[in-house]
Amino acid sequence: MTSTLWLAGESALLPSRIQMAFTLATHVLLVPMGVALPALTLLMEGIGLARKDAVALRIARRWSVVMAVQFAVGAVTGTILSFEFGILWPRLMGRFGGALGLGFAIEGLAFFLEAIFIGIYLYGWERLRPRTHFLLGLALPPAGVLGTFSVLAANSFMNTPAGVTITNGVVTDVNVWAALFTPAEGYEFWHFFIALYMTAGFVVASVYAVAWLRGRRDHHQRLAFAIPFTVAAALTPVQLLVGDLSARALVQDQPAKFAAIELTWKTRDHNPEVIGGLIDPSGAVNLGISIPSLDSFLVGYSANAVVPGLTSFAANARPSIAEANIAHLAFDVMVGLGTAGALLAVWYFWVLLRRRRLPDSVWFYRLAALAGVGCYVAVEAGWVTTEVGRQPWIVYNLMRVADAVTTAPGSFVWTMLAALVVIYALIAYFFVYLLLRLAARWRRDDALGPSAPEEGAPYGPRPALRRAGP
Amino acid sequence: MNGLLPNLIAFVLLLAIAAYSTAGGADFGAGIWDLLAGNSERGREARRLIDHAMAPVWEVNNVWLVLAIVLCWTGFPPLFEATFAGLYPLFALALVGLVLRGAFFAFRHVADDPRAHRAADLVFGLSSVLTPFFFAASLGAIASGRVGNASVLDASFNPMSIAFGLVSVAATAFMGASFLVGDARRYGATELVEYFSRRAAAAALVLIVVGTAALVTIALQAPDLVRSMLLGAGLPFALTTMVLTPVVAFLLWRGIFRWYRVLTVAAVGSLVFAWGFAQSPYVLPGKLTIAQAIAPNGTQVLLLWTAVAVLLLVVPSMGLLYYLDQRSALEPPQA
Repeated sequence: MTSTLWLAGESALLPSRIQMAFTLATHVLLVPMGVALPALTLLMEGIGLARKDAVALRIARRWSVVMAVQFAVGAVTGTILSFEFGILWPRLMGRFGGALGLGFAIEGLAFFLEAIFIGIYLYGWERLRPRTHFLLGLALPPAGVLGTFSVLAANSFMNTPAGVTITNGVVTDVNVWAALFTPAEGYEFWHFFIALYMTAGFVVASVYAVAWLRGRRDHHQRLAFAIPFTVAAALTPVQLLVGDLSARALVQDQPAKFAAIELTWKTRDHNPEVIGGLIDPSGAVNLGISIPSLDSFLVGYSANAVVPGLTSFAANARPSIAEANIAHLAFDVMVGLGTAGALLAVWYFWVLLRRRRLPDSVWFYRLAALAGVGCYVAVEAGWVTTEVGRQPWIVYNLMRVADAVTTAPGSFVWTMLAALVVIYALIAYFFVYLLLRLAARWRRDDALGPSAPEEGAPYGPRPALRRAGP
Repeated sequence: MNGLLPNLIAFVLLLAIAAYSTAGGADFGAGIWDLLAGNSERGREARRLIDHAMAPVWEVNNVWLVLAIVLCWTGFPPLFEATFAGLYPLFALALVGLVLRGAFFAFRHVADDPRAHRAADLVFGLSSVLTPFFFAASLGAIASGRVGNASVLDASFNPMSIAFGLVSVAATAFMGASFLVGDARRYGATELVEYFSRRAAAAALVLIVVGTAALVTIALQAPDLVRSMLLGAGLPFALTTMVLTPVVAFLLWRGIFRWYRVLTVAAVGSLVFAWGFAQSPYVLPGKLTIAQAIAPNGTQVLLLWTAVAVLLLVVPSMGLLYYLDQRSALEPPQA
């Protein structure tokens, strides 16, 4: 058999999974700023208006430029995802589109509103009365809530499908509310929604933490650091609580996923909590730190609580060994970073409340500068946990990933994947280059005097048409 | 439940496709004229206007496409599955074109090096031609009745899909030029008004020629469809296009700048409706009807409410955005 024949006959399953993972992993990085940056920007604008603080207004206006550029990139990667549902997983949508699609239909509406109001917000600076501009901007956070809710409704349906009547493999009836508000939606929504605000807050603050480390200590730096950092730090303990509730709910809703993230092999009581470590095909856990009975205690507040194990599920209905290890390590990374964030938040509030000022320790700002990246990693890790932990199902207990994949040849999907990797690399390069250029110009403005923040950005209000030539 | 709700949702889907063809078409069309504007020196004025005209709204236009896709998979899951399983090469090509276009539109704003700038122009322009071609080709492939009945390659690339693709490129260029006339007038760029008027009239003539050739192709390939277009439900829309396209060409040729943009939208939008109505009640000719493909009742009701919400919320706010866009162009804050 020649290699070309091998490629032509190969299933598209592997490249389709890689492509979906790659494009989703990219898109999820753009989501926090898309959903939560508008709220932070409005908060800053509100402060500026209430205190008549021109610096706060300037910060808000700059953030709105970043918001628009980032939204445009997110719109592109989001459009790609919607096509991939058809190109890679046509059978998923053919069978469950009537239920899974509901969330996306509402998301279409939310996306529309966001696109329009980001435009209005960007154009409105100096063209609308300040109060009107601020009030129109208030449409953005609810649109973000609606979008987050609806996309997670679709994801929750994949995790805990409900509201559908299936006859001979065909969805014959859909109960709209039950399909939108599936059991997982309750915790998935809050967990992810808080994660978005935390991430946006820590990421924005990290930029100004770097500015502090480089020696900038003015009103601009303090304000732009303190507002987003306070929001994110205040949410961190809430997130630990919601995250704990989410993990606990998995015991009932998706026991195989819970077994994978806890690396539990046999269903048992007095189950240890394993931190780190890898499970091998015989069910033994190597390299990890094992805390006796803690998992049982966390699940049922008692060492006697019974925790589900992987072997309680048929081998073809639970995550593979490799998938269980990935889900477990991703879970540990997420929890570890969340805990680190909470400690940083304690430090921050300790100084803020006891000494009534911002911290001035170099180590605090070094850690704050890392908090942004840490949040992105935590978001990716959380997403890996929920998606890999659900394997081999695309819709839990109803449809396998392998039964949803396209019948297109593997070579086609590999080619498309290669093209997308190249295009994404280009987009990432343009995106980062543009942001750095804007940042450099704004720093120059702060030193030399102002120009319009939007100048040089591809989206935003335009100056009058200038004729060619000198 | 009677057939009213499914037909209504099918109509909303057609409306979203028509909206993307016109609002998105004006955008892609501007890209086509960017490609045809000649080398850096000659095309500078035209490109400057195109850049100016496109910047604020292109991602809003993109939303129509996402809306159409979402409506299709939620409202008509079997149609979505069959179409994407049968025509994935066309969608993959359109998608790559769409992304390259967006990326390089942004890039040419930041490219400092003239050679990089020129390359960005080229990628942007070429993808502006290819993207509408492949999207419309998928509609042609559906209309040909080959989806699910022929091999993927044969269903994707055949006389019908190519005919639809070519009509869409001509219509897009027409749409783009007509709207650029409006933008040039708004900015008071007199030479560009004439420049794009001539091009809009020429594109209208090309559309008439290509459209006639496409009609002959459809008559040979799918006689039922052409019958329905010329004698059935598609007739009012086919007639609208046939009458309005030369009317717009005449108006712009004579420099009568009244109603030309509305008429262009009507002419291009009617192309989509002529196809959709001629094909109904089939979503896949001879294979799948609206009634067979529609999702269960609960889904239909939610989709309808979403459509109503779009109408009530999105239309007024879009109006506000366009209003501010017009105002900002007239009164730059720095001036």
